[in-house]
Amino acid sequence: MTAVALPRLSRRRPARVLRIEIRRSVALWAVPLLLALFYCDSFRTAAGFPPIWTVRSSVITDNMIADFGPLAAGLAAWVASREGRRKTGDLIATTVRPAWARQASALGATLFWLLLAYLAGVAAIYIDTAMQATWGGPPLWPVAAGVVEVVTFAVIGFTAGALFPGRFTAPLAAIGTFLLAEIGFHAALQVEPDRSTYALLSTATSVPLSDDGVFYRVAPDLAITQVMFMAGITVALLGVLTLAPVFRLSYRGLLSGVSRAGRWLCVAGVALLAVGAAAAATGVALAGTAKLSVSGWDIPALHDAASDQPVPYTPDCAGTSFQVCVHPAFSGFLASANAALQPVASEIAGLPGAPVRAEEVPSGEGVRAAQGILLAGLPAAGLSGTPPVYRYNSDDGLAPFMGSPAGTDNAGWEAGFRQNFLTAFVAGPPRAGQGADASVAQPTAAQQAVITALMTAVGSAAPQFGEDMSNGGPTAGATPAQIAAAAQRFASLSPAARHAWLAAHLAALRAGTITLAQLP
Amino acid sequence: MNIELSDITRKFGRTVAVDGVSLDAGPGVLGLLGPNGAGKTSLLRMLATILPPSSGQLVLLGRDPAKPGGRREIRRGLGYLPQNLGYYPSFTVVEFIEYFALLKEMPPHLVPKAVAAAVEKVDLGPKARAKLRTLSGGMLRRVGIAQAIVNEPELLLLDEPTAGLDPEQRVAFRALMRDLGQTATVVVSTHLVEDVGAACSEVAMMASGKIVFRGTPRELTARGEAGQGVGDAPLERGYSAILAAARTAAS
Repeated sequence: MTAVALPRLSRRRPARVLRIEIRRSVALWAVPLLLALFYCDSFRTAAGFPPIWTVRSSVITDNMIADFGPLAAGLAAWVASREGRRKTGDLIATTVRPAWARQASALGATLFWLLLAYLAGVAAIYIDTAMQATWGGPPLWPVAAGVVEVVTFAVIGFTAGALFPGRFTAPLAAIGTFLLAEIGFHAALQVEPDRSTYALLSTATSVPLSDDGVFYRVAPDLAITQVMFMAGITVALLGVLTLAPVFRLSYRGLLSGVSRAGRWLCVAGVALLAVGAAAAATGVALAGTAKLSVSGWDIPALHDAASDQPVPYTPDCAGTSFQVCVHPAFSGFLASANAALQPVASEIAGLPGAPVRAEEVPSGEGVRAAQGILLAGLPAAGLSGTPPVYRYNSDDGLAPFMGSPAGTDNAGWEAGFRQNFLTAFVAGPPRAGQGADASVAQPTAAQQAVITALMTAVGSAAPQFGEDMSNGGPTAGATPAQIAAAAQRFASLSPAARHAWLAAHLAALRAGTITLAQLP
Repeated sequence: MNIELSDITRKFGRTVAVDGVSLDAGPGVLGLLGPNGAGKTSLLRMLATILPPSSGQLVLLGRDPAKPGGRREIRRGLGYLPQNLGYYPSFTVVEFIEYFALLKEMPPHLVPKAVAAAVEKVDLGPKARAKLRTLSGGMLRRVGIAQAIVNEPELLLLDEPTAGLDPEQRVAFRALMRDLGQTATVVVSTHLVEDVGAACSEVAMMASGKIVFRGTPRELTARGEAGQGVGDAPLERGYSAILAAARTAAS
């Protein structure tokens, strides 16, 4: 036999089996696929959101889990089933190291690559956000919840693969977890979004408000509960894996199995199972007590009341006689917002009740009001105060950007923003019962004509009005063509004549007593 | 004695695979012969602590494998090559052997040297970095032998170890078995009687789950010359004579 130079082997003690497993893990080959999925789905979705940390981080627990979770389960099932598939069971069974330690190395190696890819994805989203965000910092709880969820999916798959080794276990685990994550959770979300414990325990969510976590901190309560629930499932499944050899050896009765597997192994398995089940059950119980508040979902047992206070900030403003202000988180949008509002503000400057300032306020107050949640110390959207201030939120003001401030379709957004501003001024405050989306009243035909004329005068696209059909509706009796003709007539007046007419008839126009025929 | 079996029986449902076998063995090479279905592999799997016996007393390396602590200690001194070697295709030769050395909980500082020695003993040095999926059947068999001997076992169990080896490798492997048998108990289950003749100091023959012959290869040969054995080689004639006698006794 010949003596040859062999590859140098490490003499370091710990984790050498783990290093071999990491080097040869099948998960390594799935990393490019995971990253491609991440780029096509998660990264592009995140890039489409405004550069607000909380909003972008929602992708980490939503899209990224949908991309990584089922694959993690499938890969882990494939790894766990390899002793059965590759017929190494007999060979392995004669070694000293216990099954749980061997499986821990294989699972650890799989998780190493999965979590590396996952965290690389998180880093990509956060770096991209950091380059655009103007306020705040990266939230860490979504990352913790996402990491635990990836681990949970992998452990579910691994357990399936270890208990039912076969070539079909991996695809079935992937499909099963996909259904569990997507169909189950989303069905739960659709059935009873505010009350479903199942939906709350899932990190999958709908698209958050564009200023979530900006005016109020997002409480970590729900993320803590989700971590507790999923970690509980993971630990319980590790208990099942630890106990599996006991049941395999129990062909002569459970006691015989316990005796052959070893008492400490059984005690450890039962302890893991009990602790995991208790943690998961606690998570379910805590999620059942969740209540919506300004800081998101509050779990009374975990909630810190101090987090319900508004986050102090100094707005970024532009303009002199008419100021346009945004929250510093949205300062990237200030120039566009200022450019959109200044021309229409100058059209109405000096008129009774004309706003002297526009400022951003929290969005979703209609939703919150419907849920009995008060925005502590912050005003609602609309035109109010003395001197009058126009308050808009990112939902009806900046949200149409939905992406980076640069490179968006300004014309469409600008028209909508101006329309909301003028409608608040001309049509007045919202009527009761108009719902979450209405921060201003539905304008009458004459009001619509005036708004259209003012927008046309500053070179903006014609506004789009919804048809109010209730009780004949305020626009009943006027066709769009008649409104457009009146608007054209009013717009053709000189600015001074328009201003003078508005000064004289603004109160009647706001009261809805002016008809189209009465417009000059 | 490294192996002490006393009235060992193993049943699979109603099938009795091993039927009241008693056997003692110390250092040396013990050949386990027998026709298909004689119970050789079941006996070997019990010796490898994979299968517990249905009844009887089993003591290996002075310890009781029914107890977790005893089983653990036995496995530290155990080497096993199954009939069908399962392997992980993406592992290299060295990684696979190192992996098993580590699973056998060899002292880590000894592992690199032991792996190198095992690879050299089976003459796989030039293929040390090759992935297992690229190896031929004979080379894979040698990888299996290397993982079995990497921990310098006191009890080495080999199920058809020379199947798939070329004649040169077979000769080398017989020499290796003889060498290992100086200090360890080597049990070789095989159909190849020339392996028994060349490498084994003792032979046990099984038929229908029972040991029907125990002796030296020379005694096995003598049975063939005295009885009604058929075959080209003296050992084959001994083998067939004992088998014929066992069948007659059973009927």
